[in-house]
Order: sequence, then structure tokens, then C-alpha cells
Amino acid sequence: MDLTLVVLLFASLSAATAVFGAGPFAFGQRLPLSRIGLANAVASGMMLGAAYGLLVAGFARSVTAVAGGAVLGILFVAWTHAASGTEDLDLNRLEGGSEAYGYQVLLVNSLHSASEGVAIGGAMAVSETFGIFMALAIAVHNVPEATVLCAILTGRGVRVASAAGLAVAANVSQVLLAVVAYAIVQAAPGILPWALGFAMGALVQLVMSELLPESYRQAGPRSIALATVVAMGIVVLLQSVAA
Amino acid sequence: MSPVLTVFVFGLITAAATGLGALPFALLRGMSARAIAFANAIAGGLMLGASFGIVAEGTEYGAWQTLAGGLLGVVFILITQRWLGDPDAAIASAATADTRRMSLIVIVMTVHSFAEGVAVGVAFGGGPTLALAITLAIAVHNVPEGLAISAVLRPRGATVLACAGWSIFSSLPQPIMAVPAFLFVDAFRAALPYGLGFAAGAMVFMVLEELLPEAYDRASRAPVAVVVSLTLVGMMLFQQML
Repeated sequence: MDLTLVVLLFASLSAATAVFGAGPFAFGQRLPLSRIGLANAVASGMMLGAAYGLLVAGFARSVTAVAGGAVLGILFVAWTHAASGTEDLDLNRLEGGSEAYGYQVLLVNSLHSASEGVAIGGAMAVSETFGIFMALAIAVHNVPEATVLCAILTGRGVRVASAAGLAVAANVSQVLLAVVAYAIVQAAPGILPWALGFAMGALVQLVMSELLPESYRQAGPRSIALATVVAMGIVVLLQSVAA
Repeated sequence: MSPVLTVFVFGLITAAATGLGALPFALLRGMSARAIAFANAIAGGLMLGASFGIVAEGTEYGAWQTLAGGLLGVVFILITQRWLGDPDAAIASAATADTRRMSLIVIVMTVHSFAEGVAVGVAFGGGPTLALAITLAIAVHNVPEGLAISAVLRPRGATVLACAGWSIFSSLPQPIMAVPAFLFVDAFRAALPYGLGFAAGAMVFMVLEELLPEAYDRASRAPVAVVVSLTLVGMMLFQQML
């Protein structure tokens, strides 16, 4: 199969797993905040592990380009958060709040997905195994992300099925950017270390500015740190074994 | 000079370099909440970057062993925390919490030096001609580690001299471990991935449980996040350029 199709397939698969995030609500359950916090912590750990993999793969090509790309990735995420007015967005207001808040949360999710798409496309250009691994790691991460989104949306009266659909729709930018990033680094291989660095910086900045601070509000630092470090260790191990 | 003495002296030099990390904090006086937040963010980024480098080295010797070492490192911090006192009880007094955190960073960085010392010794065993280059590289690596320790100690009221002293102290295990590792390379090479994993696990867990939550509490999260991320990348770049 052509690798571009593999990128499309796995990025779509990864985007679609957001449906599972709506699972708990389909059975009319309310999730305790601490559970969501732990899910966020696992997602943080997986993202940090993925960032480590991107960094190692990138440094094998060009150290300076990866560092340059990483700075761009960090600034891109920081800037999009600031420009969209979502840098201090509290994702814990499950009930009440304005309609604008719902849109902001959707916007934040779409911005996240864009960086994740670059990570999938860049990783696929390193090797098919690494690309599929990255897509699967992000797929798992998309579940708790969608759970938070669905909790917010259903809390505002959105039907569960629509909430699940919106959670997947918020990931469309991921599929698009995965394919575009892959096509670009195929056409101009010199850009690859920049793309890897960009994805790495963006993922780390997402974890540091969104996922971790959120999760510390949802559960205690000790359980958050434990969940994060274990998830990170497992992802790093799987990458080292697969490589 | 005998090779053993050489390894030891070079190890001492690298330990002394750690003290240089305290210098930038000569300028910092206050104990403002923001100063603590950003110093935590810098220390966190440096330690995460250092851990990434250590893990990359450890997985070359054995990925499973590195992960096992990492889990042991996490357990070690949990036990040390219990020994230092319950964090919830420490909330009662800010001074107690500060002392606890200061002790913890010194312990974590000292433990991490054991693994680094072994790495130095094993590297020396590979070829003495590289000795000087490796020593220089490690010495330069140690400066940001002193920076991380000082970033936690200085805003909490430690003098610059104390910061430098504790930084050097934290690196003393390097010469102590480098010598036996150099003499018994084969035995120590087997232990190395566990040790490196242990160091990384302990550092990452300390960053996630102690440094970052406090940083987010005391300053808004966007600038804290940018400082952590940029410092992490800077530390990785710094390690790679040497």
C-alpha cells in the first residue's frame, strides 16, 4: 500500500477513536472529575513519550534543525492559545457557562489535533512502524480528550451522539495535517528534521500548557505524576523495542 | 599518574563544575511567588531534558532494564517523600514545605549522579584516550544540573554559596562511582541501564509531582509552560552539541 494511504488510514483511525470518549455518557453515567484527570495524565505521559521518540529520530538527522523546529512548535502552540483567547481556558466547567465556552473548547481541541497530525505525518516519514506507532499513541490519547469534550457538551444539553460526532469532527485537522505534513517531507526531505522538531515542541507545549495543569486541578499531584510517568515509560519502552 | 587516580581527579573536576550552576542565581534575591514558579519551571525543563538524554543512553544498553530502573526510581522518591514527611501535613507551614522540597531536589540530583558516575567510568573503560574529552563533556553537562538545584534552593532563601556547595555535593558520587565502574567495566555495564533508568524515573517523577504543580499554582500556566518547554529543548540541544 502506498504510504500516503497508510498515513490517511491511520490518521483517520486515530481521529475516529474519539467516538469511544463518548462511551461513558452513552450509558448515562457521570464521570468523576478525578477519573478525567487521570485520563488526562495518561494522555500527557503518552504525548511526552511520543515527543521523546520524535526527538531521538530527529536528532539522528539534524540537531540544529530539530531544535529550530521545536522552538517554532512551542511558539506556534503558545501563540494559537493566546490568539484564540484559550490560554487560560478552564476545561473543568462541565455545567453552566456560556455558549462561547463550548465553541472555545471545540477550537482548542481542533488546534491540538493539528499538531498531532504533523507528528503522525513526520513519524511516518521516518519509518512506517514509527508512524503507525505514533498514530496509535495519539489514538489512545484522543479517547480521554474526547471524554472531556463530551462531558462539557452533554453537560450543555447536546445529545450524546452529536457530542461524539463533534469530538470526531474536532480531529479532522489531524487527518488533514498528517497527510499534508507527510506529502511535504516526501517532496522536500530536508524539512523532515524541522517537522519532527515542530511536532515535538508542539506536543510538549500542549502537555505543559493544557493537559498537565488541567489534570492537577482534577486529581492530586501524586496520582497525576504516577499515571504520567508510567504512561511515558511504557511509550518510551515500546518505541525502543520497535526501533 | 595511575589510571585510577586520573579517573578520580577528573571526576572531582566534573563535580566542581556543578557549582558554577549557582552563579546566575547570585542576581536573584526575592522569594516572590513568581520567582519560585519560574525557577521551578527552569529546573523542571532542565531535569526533563536531562532525563530524555539519560533514557536515550540507557535504552542503548537495554530498554526493559531502563524501564525497570525507572519504576524503581519512582518508588525511591515515594519512599523518600514518606521519610521526609507527609506533603499534606507540610502544607501547615510553608517553611516546612520549602525545606522538604529543597532536601528532595538535593537527594534526587545526588542519586542521579551515582548513575552518571558509573556512565563516566564505563566510558573510560572503553578507551582512555577519550578520557579528557569525556571529562570535559561531563563537566559542562554538570553546570545545568547545578542550575536546576540552585533554581530550587535559591528562591527559598539559600545563599549563593550554599547553592554552589549543595550543587557540588550532589555531584560527588560521580568520582566515587566512576573509579569502581572503570575498574570493573563489565560488571557495571550490566547495571548501567538500571541505574540510568532509576535516575531518569526519579527526576521525571520529582518534576511532575513537586515542581510543576507548584509552578502552576504560583504563576499563570501559559508562560510557565513556555519556559518549561524551551528549557527542555535547550537542555537537549546543549547535551547534543557537546
